Amino acid sequence: MILSPPNATSWRRTGGARAWLPIARYLGARVGQAVIALWGVTTAVFFALRLSGNPALLLAPQNATQQEINQISQQLGLNVPVWRQYLNYLGDLLHGNLGYSYVQHEPALTLLTQRLPYTINLTLTALAITIVFGVGAGMIMALTRGGWGERLLMPLVLAGQAMPAFWTGILLILVFSVTFHWLPSSGDDSATALILPAITLASLSAATVARVTRGAVLEQLSRDYVRTARSKGAGTWRLIWRHLLRNVSVPVLTVLALETANLLGGSVVTEEIFAWPGIGQLTIQSVNDRDFPVVQAIVILAATIYIVINLVTDIVYGFIDPRIAVLSKEAG
Amino acid sequence: MRAHLRFCAAALATVALAGGVAACSTSGTPGSSASSTAGGPTLTVDLSSYPASLDPGLQYDTESYSVYRNIFDQLLHRNPTTEQVEPWLATSWKQDNSTTWTFDIRKGVKFSNGDPLTAADAAFSIERILTPSFGSQQEANFSAIASATGTGDTLTIKTKYPSPTLLTYLTTLSVVPEAYVKKVGNSAFNLHPVGSGPYEFTSSIPGSQVIVKRNPDYWGPKPQIASVVFRAVPDIATRVADLQSGQAQLADSMTPDSVSQLKSAGLQALTTPTERVSYLAFNTIHGGPTDNTTVRKAISEAIDYSALVNDLEKGYASRVNSVATPLNFGYPKNLPDYAYNPAQAKKLIQQAGAAGQTVIMATSPTYDPTIVQAIQANIQAVGLNVKIESTDQVTYLEKVQSPSHNWGSIRFGQWSCSCLDADGVAYPLFHTGTIWSSYSNPTFDNLVTEARETLNSNTRTSLYAQAYGILAQDVPGIGLFQIDAIYGASTKLQWKPDAQQDFFVADMKLSS
Repeated sequence: MILSPPNATSWRRTGGARAWLPIARYLGARVGQAVIALWGVTTAVFFALRLSGNPALLLAPQNATQQEINQISQQLGLNVPVWRQYLNYLGDLLHGNLGYSYVQHEPALTLLTQRLPYTINLTLTALAITIVFGVGAGMIMALTRGGWGERLLMPLVLAGQAMPAFWTGILLILVFSVTFHWLPSSGDDSATALILPAITLASLSAATVARVTRGAVLEQLSRDYVRTARSKGAGTWRLIWRHLLRNVSVPVLTVLALETANLLGGSVVTEEIFAWPGIGQLTIQSVNDRDFPVVQAIVILAATIYIVINLVTDIVYGFIDPRIAVLSKEAG
Repeated sequence: MRAHLRFCAAALATVALAGGVAACSTSGTPGSSASSTAGGPTLTVDLSSYPASLDPGLQYDTESYSVYRNIFDQLLHRNPTTEQVEPWLATSWKQDNSTTWTFDIRKGVKFSNGDPLTAADAAFSIERILTPSFGSQQEANFSAIASATGTGDTLTIKTKYPSPTLLTYLTTLSVVPEAYVKKVGNSAFNLHPVGSGPYEFTSSIPGSQVIVKRNPDYWGPKPQIASVVFRAVPDIATRVADLQSGQAQLADSMTPDSVSQLKSAGLQALTTPTERVSYLAFNTIHGGPTDNTTVRKAISEAIDYSALVNDLEKGYASRVNSVATPLNFGYPKNLPDYAYNPAQAKKLIQQAGAAGQTVIMATSPTYDPTIVQAIQANIQAVGLNVKIESTDQVTYLEKVQSPSHNWGSIRFGQWSCSCLDADGVAYPLFHTGTIWSSYSNPTFDNLVTEARETLNSNTRTSLYAQAYGILAQDVPGIGLFQIDAIYGASTKLQWKPDAQQDFFVADMKLSS
């Protein structure tokens, strides 16, 4: 996905296959940075978790003796010095082994792959809602500044920004599940079960994107090229498609990338409310249980996703606006 | 038009990459087979979390227990009304000597894969839990057992010392099929458990739900409910909403506060007293003011017990007279309930010269902070300063279980041994040197140790009466109240929950 060829113009301009070399060099550097970042995150989480207490205490039954607790610690490999545990962990990691869940007696990777599709489903749906409603509402608000559109949408946007997910979620359940029986209140049994959690998750992000889009469009509307286009008789749609979208896409894309990260984080609360069996729920459970291998695996996954989103955003900038292209700059 | 296309491409690229590493795996969510099965209704149960394991040898938490006990049969059964141990998979048992027991295993019982259930399976189920490398969290419950062997229909259990609580713990022992477990391995067994119980495992979506259906070859009476969907719904407000919207018919882990909401929504709250007791324990070794018995006695008279039970627990709790519940064998029935007497408490504090001193109260967010704060206010009203130190559960455990006894003066906790016996309460909480005890009294130690290894129940009752008499004098702890379990349910469900929180779906009926 990352290695799709640069767009046709820059390909011609830089002249054939040689163009790939700087791209490869750039990607190589970024991957190197990513590995260092991942190592840093993993290490920080490893030691932070070890400071948070011995999981054997939670796993042992109440009437356990000290000896029985020690036995559990030993089985989990927690009785050796922390640096030793760390080296073991890094060794396992290099072999692609993320460890076994202390609580569920399953490989952490298995637990993660079972839950990941749910979180991806939820996040992508929420992201689609964010883009459609956020960008749409922002445009309408800017183009109808001071008029009906802004007066109608602004309160909604403010509400979306002001209401925390646990409140939005419960409110939606009360209205759409308990009162009207239109949508399921929780679970993942049907396609409709995705609707309420996705709206809950998207509400904050969509509101943020709407405000950024509105600001960006308003800024562009005062520019000379818009006046020129208008004086040449360009209609509103033509103005939006041909001129505005391209110019507002850089700030909007930046905020979208940030919001995608927020959506992944926000899924922790949303999944808990709607009993959506994704990574978010697994995170809460594993942190509460001090299930170290699972928490560590989740952190590695989350860090990887953040890094990939950042990289892709940087590359995509170049397609939108060659002036800030990370690839063609070096290539050119 | 190109600009427009490029923008779309950029937006799509972001969308696609939001999925990052595994965007292609977002297939539709797996459907459930929760539709009603022929010959009876389907019950949907909201549990507060997904069962940590379906292998009954491993975990012991309420949610795992609620699910797997329907898939497996237990060796013995406890009558929910009389609390007596009754035959189940073991049809009869006898004691050959003080440490050897033999059990006759029911004939003709089959696991749902067709294998016959034998005494060897029962022995294997015990030995498995006792194997250290298996890492069972129930090991402590069966640690009195030295060996278990099965020949033909006879199971022989040898204990390390005479163990009066052996039968009690065997009511929690689920029997697993030895041949199947050995064939598929522990981890596959956990994913696809095979038992002999009234329900058999159908499917599961990890983290989300477990579905079981009636076992057609079950040896016992045929349950009315044909299939059960156990769903994991962590948020209590959502569990209530699920009941209100009809998505579930039964939900566990309700709070006293949620009862009025359930009732006003036309639902029922099913409650039962449990053997879980809320208690305060004192540090009598390095506790500062609480090293003094008079101060501890004063605190026991400073607490407004009926306000805790009636106002904070809304009546879904009962007064107790010691750190135990009437459900525990050995509960000292003759002791009077704690008395609320703030004037007397104030006098005692002054007498002990402790007025104005600060006591540290250790707790964790696991325990209801309103109760802890109410107790703080009660104690402060009689002249002591109380500083609450709330840390997360692991830190709390690390602190109060540390052999240095430097955790403060008073700690709040909840206790349940799932054994219905004073041995599982008095011994681990107050015997010298156990991880929980910051108290030492050799006479008490001797009494509970003797009771632990005595089989005669009359002797045991009298030993515990003496032991609890000492605790009433020394006050190393205070029993605050016995906690009720509260379930929310549709009015279509008929079920009487029992003290062990057995959660046998076979005992439930659901009308349509």
